[in-house]
Amino acid sequence: MELPNDKLLPLVRQYVAEGEHVIISVKGYSMRPFLEHLRDRVKLSPWTELQVGDAVLAEIAPGHFVLHRIIEIRQGRELTLMGDGNICGTEPCTIDDVCGVVTEYLRPNGHVLYASDKKLQKRIRLWRRLLPIRRALLFLYRLTIDERA
Amino acid sequence: MRIKEGFELRDICGEHVVVAHGRGNIDFSKIISLNESAAYLWHKVQGQDFDAAMLARLLTEEYEVDEATALRDAEKTMQDWRGAGMAE
Repeated sequence: MELPNDKLLPLVRQYVAEGEHVIISVKGYSMRPFLEHLRDRVKLSPWTELQVGDAVLAEIAPGHFVLHRIIEIRQGRELTLMGDGNICGTEPCTIDDVCGVVTEYLRPNGHVLYASDKKLQKRIRLWRRLLPIRRALLFLYRLTIDERA
Repeated sequence: MRIKEGFELRDICGEHVVVAHGRGNIDFSKIISLNESAAYLWHKVQGQDFDAAMLARLLTEEYEVDEATALRDAEKTMQDWRGAGMAE
């Protein structure tokens, strides 16, 4: 069975706040190409410090959660989030809205990609710099995904 | 049969839900919902070996059900738990 997000994500927030690490399935396409809808899972963990490039689950409005990446931190607590798979559109929030930080990317074949992996972090920075041509890159990515499906 | 280590029954939003709880994390990507009687059985047999006859006896003790139906339900429950990888 699957718990709907409106029931699941407040629980995730609660458990992570209690110090648990929580694994959830990824839903949606807004974190392409790093996370794929219903294919990948992520481990969300408690955090002490956030950095640009971290993917976080945040409650950006009451009951409205997003799993997006931090692209800017101002004054240590004001954050701007953006989905890797989004062309435009960002979400402002604060560190208090962050429910957990992605520490592991779990692939269906059992492969675990750690958020601390230097190569991954390099790819994330490169992806951010390629924002001006992201639409075209995502189009090509969709073609490869569709072919595999 | 025995319920495997690393699975625990939680009451989430009024539902009886089994979640995998291992290596210090809770896995919400693999959750299994149990009905009332399966949750009752889970509580009764967690941490011990059991068979269909034992489950059937527990069912007849708790619910108004005849032995044949209880045994069928017990076997189905065991099949479901084994199929979901929660018991071996």
